[in-house]
Amino acid sequence: MDAFSLGLDHVLTLSALVAIVIGTIMGVAVGVLPGLGSVIGITMVLPFTFSMEQVPALALMLGIYCGSVYGGSISAIVINTPGTPQAAATALDGYPMAQRGEADLAIGWATVASVTGGLFSVGVLIIAAPQLAAFSLNFTSIEYFALGVFALICIANVSRGAMSKGLLAGAIGLFLATIGVDHVTGDMRFTFGSFEMTAGISLIPAIVGLFALSEVFIRASESTRVKAVIAHNVGFRLPPFSDWVPRLWLLLKSCVLGSFIGTLPGTGAATASFIAYSEAKRSAPNRDKLGTGEPDGIVAAESANNAVTGSAMVPTLALGIPGDPVTAVMLGTFIVHGLAPGPRLFTEHLDLVYAVFLILVVVNLVMFVVGALGAQIFTRALKVPEPLLMTMVVVIAIVGAYGVRGNPLDLVTAFLAGLGGFALRKAGFPLAPLVIGMVLSEMIENSLRQGLLLTRGSFLAFFERPIALTLFILTAFLLVWPAIRWLRGRKREARNDIPDV
Amino acid sequence: MNIIKTVLAGLVGTMAIGAPALAQDFPAKPVTIIVPFSAGGGTDITTRTLAGPMAKALGGEIVVKNTAGAGGTIGAAETARARADGYTVGMMPVGPMTTQPHLRELPYDPDSFDYVCQAYSAPSSLVVRQDSPFQSLDDMLTYAKENPGELNYGVQAVGSIPHVAGLGLASASGAEFTFIPYKGSAPTFKAMLDGSIDMFVAHISFLTQNSDQVRSIAMLTSDRVSTAEDLPTAAEQGVPMNFPIWGGIVAPKGIPAEAKAALEAACEAGMNSDAFKARMAELRMPIAFMGGDDFEAFVKSEFDKNDKLLTEAGLKK
Repeated sequence: MDAFSLGLDHVLTLSALVAIVIGTIMGVAVGVLPGLGSVIGITMVLPFTFSMEQVPALALMLGIYCGSVYGGSISAIVINTPGTPQAAATALDGYPMAQRGEADLAIGWATVASVTGGLFSVGVLIIAAPQLAAFSLNFTSIEYFALGVFALICIANVSRGAMSKGLLAGAIGLFLATIGVDHVTGDMRFTFGSFEMTAGISLIPAIVGLFALSEVFIRASESTRVKAVIAHNVGFRLPPFSDWVPRLWLLLKSCVLGSFIGTLPGTGAATASFIAYSEAKRSAPNRDKLGTGEPDGIVAAESANNAVTGSAMVPTLALGIPGDPVTAVMLGTFIVHGLAPGPRLFTEHLDLVYAVFLILVVVNLVMFVVGALGAQIFTRALKVPEPLLMTMVVVIAIVGAYGVRGNPLDLVTAFLAGLGGFALRKAGFPLAPLVIGMVLSEMIENSLRQGLLLTRGSFLAFFERPIALTLFILTAFLLVWPAIRWLRGRKREARNDIPDV
Repeated sequence: MNIIKTVLAGLVGTMAIGAPALAQDFPAKPVTIIVPFSAGGGTDITTRTLAGPMAKALGGEIVVKNTAGAGGTIGAAETARARADGYTVGMMPVGPMTTQPHLRELPYDPDSFDYVCQAYSAPSSLVVRQDSPFQSLDDMLTYAKENPGELNYGVQAVGSIPHVAGLGLASASGAEFTFIPYKGSAPTFKAMLDGSIDMFVAHISFLTQNSDQVRSIAMLTSDRVSTAEDLPTAAEQGVPMNFPIWGGIVAPKGIPAEAKAALEAACEAGMNSDAFKARMAELRMPIAFMGGDDFEAFVKSEFDKNDKLLTEAGLKK
């Protein structure tokens, strides 16, 4: 309790609170802008954090981190371009809602789901950080492989309408991510002798091109047609509580999924949101409407990806293993101030651990306010004349694509991805499976090959590990689930067909 | 007479003002340091820590630019190809300078650069889990020789210094390991904690930060490290090894001599600043300044040493 009140003292200072507010606003802003994500946001403030005190420095970074994961959903909803890869699943239902003129409501759903997910994961962090960290050590390369395969099923679930096209898009995504260095042998693949290609296809320029630029191309190609005028609602509208009640179970489940996946270093919020979306597709109350602008999809994706923010701190603080570049920088901030992460942190500096928890709670509350006020501005983008809006999108997309690693090839990647995205969309291919493929490719391939090195080449040994086996069985179950449901439906029909005697 | 005096005085005055102006020709605009890895990593943070005091000494501005990708080679190539005017330099670590060029065709080699200074050199260490049965290098090597290939040796990237060090250890001791490549240090550390791997080579600051979970069984340095006197070296345990993880500032070949001199002086002053020293002390990193000429000779000798090790291991392409 003493440590808790000390932690509270750390957070309830003017500098810490100001840092939280500034960080969250910045985070939402970089999240909204496609291409600029959590990493760019953190890099921008990195030089300042060196001279800041420890708690405000952490507050600033946590604000940016959580804010950016949430902010990505706003552009996913408003312009069908996930501001960050984490929000790719949000576009699936968010954008159709905006097209119906309900962007304000969609943002409302996303905000409440994000804040709930964020707060839930802080709760998880408070109750069980050391235990969860210990559990995450049961995940070796073999379990990561099983998890990756499990997550691939999402491709089937987000390929609305055209399953074969979805699978093909997923395969393209898996393939694109193999370009560049083979991390197991160090060889180069599919670079065609071009040195620039050795850096591979970077995810962010690809997403910016696939979504933002292809959207611009699509609109440009349709400009001659007269479009139905949609009355867009501007601003921020909270969904009524009665609409939440039937979705509480879905919300809880997505929070749990996100919180758990977040504790596994290197998996990330994008994977979490796709898995949660996929689970919603299987079991949500309105699963049949998913993909057509159904809030269930937003709720699942946004609560899961924000639940990652809190739980990603679990391995970072308790083991000293950062899960992504953002937590890596935060870890650096701890170290700069002489705090070694790891089990000892929780015994020797519990007050600071509590300070992190409390910062996360405040950040999530501030995020709600920033989202509600920000939505007033962002949704107005829908009323900006289309040529102007699309020009802005192009400029932002180019800055974002180049900004990540400063490699001019990334501009070419973004442009080609834009053309590719345009062609795929025109041909009726869904884009989300492509992103899932790109996100999961490296994890699946590397963990499979590392796993085979660990088992000295035995595939059978993969099935001897209980967690991996469970995941493989779940994967198999989910693959046959649609068939089971169809069979059951037929039986019921058959039973109804029996004439009354 | 008075007029002549005035003119002369004026001339002298102009020369007096003109002289420092000449010396200050460089820098006339901000200098960019290319970091070949992402923001927030070890190389990036060291560069950003140095950039402040170095800019002050240089009397100009320094911008840090991250060009990440392909093990640092994209940033190194960008540095080699930049205009050789001294306004674009790179903070190039050991990997892209001395191991990557042996692994594949690259548009640069050590002769593509002018050398400004070495900015850091961190001792490396062979680490095991705290609860590992191995107390010394000898324990581990004895076991490895009795059970060839059974011990898993994690590497952060194929052909990286930790990998080269492991190859060196295997060839010097006759032990056999199974090398398992991960992508970066965080996943490698995770693999050690989850029991997948038995050992890996890490930077001294990593060892310092994670001392409750890992310990060193051998420092891979020729002598004991001043910031870690208590840790025995591999050499003391019968296997001489020296694998520092270093980096320094290089420029495209052919920069003006005055720019090179100004950058070298600023680098030295920056590294001797209190801010930089304090930061390095926190990480238990020694201050390891080396002037341009020494650094060039050092890089070239490392280049040849790693060439030999990678060739022996059959990794050289």
